[in-house]
Amino acid sequence: MTGISVAGIQKRFGAYQALTSVSLEVRDSEFTVLLGPSGCGKSTLLRIIAGLEYADGGTIDIGQRRVNDLPPRLRRIAMVFQNYAVFPHMTIYDNVAFGLRTRKTPEAEVRTRVMRMAELMDIGAQLSKYSAQLSGGQRQRVAVARALVVEPEVLLMDEPLSNLDALLRLQMRAELKSLLQEFNTTTIYVTHDQVEAMSLADRIAVMNGGHIEQYGSPMQIYSRPATRFVGGFIGNPPMNFLLDDHHSYSRQVGLERPGKAHSLGIRPEDIQVYREMATQCWPVKVGVVECLGPMQQFTAELDHQMLRVTADPDLALHSGETLYLRPDPAKVCWYDGEGRMLPV
Amino acid sequence: MKRVGGSSAMAWLFGASLVILCLWVLLPLYLLMVNSVSTPDQIHGWPKRLWPEISFDTILFFWNFQGVAQAMFNSIVTAVITLLLSILLGTPAGYGLARFRFRGKNLFRIMVLMTRAFPLPLLALPLAVVYLQIGLDDTLIGVALVHTMLALPFTVLVTFSLFLGIPRELEEVAWTMGCTRWEAFRKVVLPLAAPGIAASAVFAFVVSWNEVFAAAILTVNNQTLTAFLVQSLDESPVHLKFAGGLVLVLPALVFIFAVRKYMFSLWGIASR
Repeated sequence: MTGISVAGIQKRFGAYQALTSVSLEVRDSEFTVLLGPSGCGKSTLLRIIAGLEYADGGTIDIGQRRVNDLPPRLRRIAMVFQNYAVFPHMTIYDNVAFGLRTRKTPEAEVRTRVMRMAELMDIGAQLSKYSAQLSGGQRQRVAVARALVVEPEVLLMDEPLSNLDALLRLQMRAELKSLLQEFNTTTIYVTHDQVEAMSLADRIAVMNGGHIEQYGSPMQIYSRPATRFVGGFIGNPPMNFLLDDHHSYSRQVGLERPGKAHSLGIRPEDIQVYREMATQCWPVKVGVVECLGPMQQFTAELDHQMLRVTADPDLALHSGETLYLRPDPAKVCWYDGEGRMLPV
Repeated sequence: MKRVGGSSAMAWLFGASLVILCLWVLLPLYLLMVNSVSTPDQIHGWPKRLWPEISFDTILFFWNFQGVAQAMFNSIVTAVITLLLSILLGTPAGYGLARFRFRGKNLFRIMVLMTRAFPLPLLALPLAVVYLQIGLDDTLIGVALVHTMLALPFTVLVTFSLFLGIPRELEEVAWTMGCTRWEAFRKVVLPLAAPGIAASAVFAFVVSWNEVFAAAILTVNNQTLTAFLVQSLDESPVHLKFAGGLVLVLPALVFIFAVRKYMFSLWGIASR
């Protein structure tokens, strides 16, 4: 049983507040992704959990063990870095064996475990080579093999795929997912790539400005963004926000809204498009139309507010024409003046 | 770069300056070399020949000269002590500068450089007095301490840029894999830094080997080769001076040539 429990973590670098009282619970064998724009503190949080940075306040428990004052080597973790950090002066075999050897594993066992891991990660042919002779993808595999071979209780990954090119990243993502499901290791994974987060995570913690905006399953995060930031960060294109402080737009389409509602959030694909005038619709003027193959996207202007809408690829759309939009009432989210979601 | 009209004159000027600079350095070296492998008669004779018959008479004469062997031995001992001290003190300082944030770090770096700007002659008299008081005068360790002071700034700055070039993540990943800070340094950083540390060690050796002022002032009987040659300059024959000069210059040249890559990196010039 190795859950991770982080409570009230604070960190400042000089005058810069990197983390403002962050709390996070990761269950045993859960895959949690820390997602956020650069500078949001996600890497700092990961490094604090790893013991590579000290927190100014708060507590960290790994498997019911308070690890605040323990150095990284005693935290029973393994970490994969963005630049792979494969030791350039050792063969790949020695790299993978490194963690086992520092833990004084008998050489015969080191051999069997390295070989098994190498086979699993498909780096068997590279074992006698050096890091400089390997491609980026192969180095990535070595880094993952080196981390997993010690069978850590917790695996920490800091943007492990972001140095790979797009096609390789896609392939490694799928491999990583099936591999980690097999190992069942409690994992915290840092990324700024929302697609990576959505596809890998059991739960996503969306971070912004040194705190966690929302922590939940990918679908929760996508369909019920807890804040306007989350709605605007997740999804491509992101959620639409319509200023509705006078209740005019919601009344127009027959929506009931909570009292303090300030704006209305709706995903581009949750809007019905009508060519003819229909009841309870917003009349909009079509702006830019982009055909993306399986669907098309267009911008719609509603009294100087801009909406992005996804439409069927067969619908003939022309810039400048008037269309009629109706949001799916079940998918609409409401936000107050501070950008927090309101319960319906 | 694009060549424009009138640039051929510039190119000539540039080429000529290069030739002059090279001659400035190489001509004395050439004369030193030629005269050292000539017989004493040829050294004094005229006209000079561009390429002499090789003879080891001069070198042998130098080698058998009273006190030369002892002075050379003293020079080597002093240089080795200097090398050890500057690596043992300089490498940790370079590592600290590269890896830790601390108050006054920039000031420290400037101070390290400033020690090189301090004129040694100003220090000579007080140093000699203190050495006499504590009994370090006329000892090789005393000379080596001054030489360490001269070499240390380079050791600190070279190892600093050396450690800076080794990604921090390599150490961090070693920590997460069960290493203490020291183990991670020994198993990961040291093997990667070793060539550079060796280079700054060689440099420290050369600094000591070449240094004449402090060595001449602080020793009377236990002279290093430089001090010995300077002191016997007036009474010794010309061919002895040539041979002595060559023996002093050659190791320094060879060593510095071997480690030039690291010296360039210190000055921020990329070689290759």
